Amino acid sequence: MKKRRAGRAFTRRDFIKGAAMGTLGMALYGKGKPVFAGAKADAVPFTAENPESVVVLIRNERAIGAADKVDAAVVQEMIDTAVKQFSGEADAAKAWAKYVRADDTVGVKFTRCDYMRVHTDQAVIDAVVKRVGEAGVGQDRIYAQDGGLPFAKCTALINVPSVKVHTLTGIAVSMKNYINFSPAPSKYHAPSTNLGEIFLMPDVKGKTRLIVVDILRPYFGPGPQINPLHRWNYHGIMVSNDPVAVESVCLNICQAKRNLFKGEAWPITPPPDFIAAADKTYKLGTSDPAKIKLIKLGWDKDILI
Amino acid sequence: MGQSQIPDKGKILAAFPLRQALPPEISGWKTGREDQVFTRDNIFDYMNGGGEIYLAYDFQFVFVREYVRDDAPSIVAEIYQMSSSKDAFGVFNHDTDGDEVELGQGAIYAAGLLRLWKDKIFVRIMADRETPEAKAVIMQLGTTIVRAISQDGEKPNLLRALPSEGLRPKSLRYFHTLISLNAHYYLANVNILNLSPETQVAMARYEKEGSEARLLLVEYPTVERAVDAHGRFVEMFLLERFEADRKVPPKKLENGKFAGVVRGGKYLIIVIEADKKSILDWITKTTSQNLEE
Repeated sequence: MKKRRAGRAFTRRDFIKGAAMGTLGMALYGKGKPVFAGAKADAVPFTAENPESVVVLIRNERAIGAADKVDAAVVQEMIDTAVKQFSGEADAAKAWAKYVRADDTVGVKFTRCDYMRVHTDQAVIDAVVKRVGEAGVGQDRIYAQDGGLPFAKCTALINVPSVKVHTLTGIAVSMKNYINFSPAPSKYHAPSTNLGEIFLMPDVKGKTRLIVVDILRPYFGPGPQINPLHRWNYHGIMVSNDPVAVESVCLNICQAKRNLFKGEAWPITPPPDFIAAADKTYKLGTSDPAKIKLIKLGWDKDILI
Repeated sequence: MGQSQIPDKGKILAAFPLRQALPPEISGWKTGREDQVFTRDNIFDYMNGGGEIYLAYDFQFVFVREYVRDDAPSIVAEIYQMSSSKDAFGVFNHDTDGDEVELGQGAIYAAGLLRLWKDKIFVRIMADRETPEAKAVIMQLGTTIVRAISQDGEKPNLLRALPSEGLRPKSLRYFHTLISLNAHYYLANVNILNLSPETQVAMARYEKEGSEARLLLVEYPTVERAVDAHGRFVEMFLLERFEADRKVPPKKLENGKFAGVVRGGKYLIIVIEADKKSILDWITKTTSQNLEE
């Protein structure tokens, strides 16, 4: 009888044993919570040679009001505070000047998903565009778009995604936000393992200066379309320059929320194996909590991480 | 899971009876943008990154109508035409979170979203934001659509083999392919069970005498394909040697839960996540008996 070879198969048992996706597997199937803030206190933003990452998470109770209305002024203040913290500058203009120059052509890549409705909020987009403009970039050289963003002519990209659990990729934040830079985006759906290669496309590679995540009202349900029961007001903004670390932190938050909602383990499925691949294969950042310095600012009620 | 020939979009819009049943205006809400229709050919124009879930069933087309009213949330009604009632049931059961409503052959309402199915039709009606008025309109639209569907459809025959005792109703899923399995329960990153559009899968969770377990009942188009999938599951998941005529006993896995598989003709009965061997044995035995009846 011919013996079947598992080859590169990863089964649920591999996750249970902790043999698949490392700490991310533990986030989905493990009992313990990962410990972030493992990087050194003076950790600097990610580079391949210095694989430690900083992620700033800021939350404000006033960011969302009645009828889920987002307060644009509060959001601007949150983004400014987070970018200042991330850059180490006390002044917002100086902080943004670290990431965009007056002679840049800047793509502000946000998420617009009509059918699912978990968009990057307009207040977040406006706040980023405003600061990019104040850094001296002319309005004619700022492209704030989702589909059709002319990334090839951009010298800098600001990645501004929303956060949602996704029925084909597991989770969709900063990495899936670039999926439509590919001429064949559907090839990164189920499996999505190679999503990281989009960041290495010649017209994309090295251009991402900053990631500003709209985690004001994330989505944790199975999809593909939204069930309003599975959306919650988290009141957060996240800033980093490491897409893998961002994905890892968001995964842990969404997984915690799912478990809370069901009152039992409700693992995100399919497991977003593209995160581990982005770390180990494409070396875009780190997914290891021990190498991610998570700085939490502001409101901490139900922070889940 | 055959797909019958799909008519062109103009013809669908002109002839779709449920479109004619929908009112042009309701409680001050009027039709917004033009009615739309998306078929298997262009479903991604409507839900890029989500169409795969519908294509995994015998989806034919979705008709979309928007209702708008000043100072009120817009409401979108989506009517999915499937080729079979069993797949309308399957799509409906993709997400069961919400409150059950007496409408059609099954309906669930959740914070501004109504989902229902009847015969070969699956419906989603959703408001941008839930308000009492919007909810009333959503329910009226749902009722109108249900009344316009003349007959009930049959649920998948496979469900009759599921043990009824201890079944957690909201856990019931029906599907065909790996993409649907992965959306509900991750077994592996490869197609261990050889799922395809021709396979039928009923999946449910059970709770009996304080123990829990999950059943995956798979019907293959041929005995040969069932045997092959049996071998793949035994060798790739249970990590045991497979011989077609040898029974592989249930196995206690690393998390302390039991897993086991039994084949009967073109059916595979897979029980996983079982707290105790006794619940695994009971589900396996009861399902086998049901299949023989």
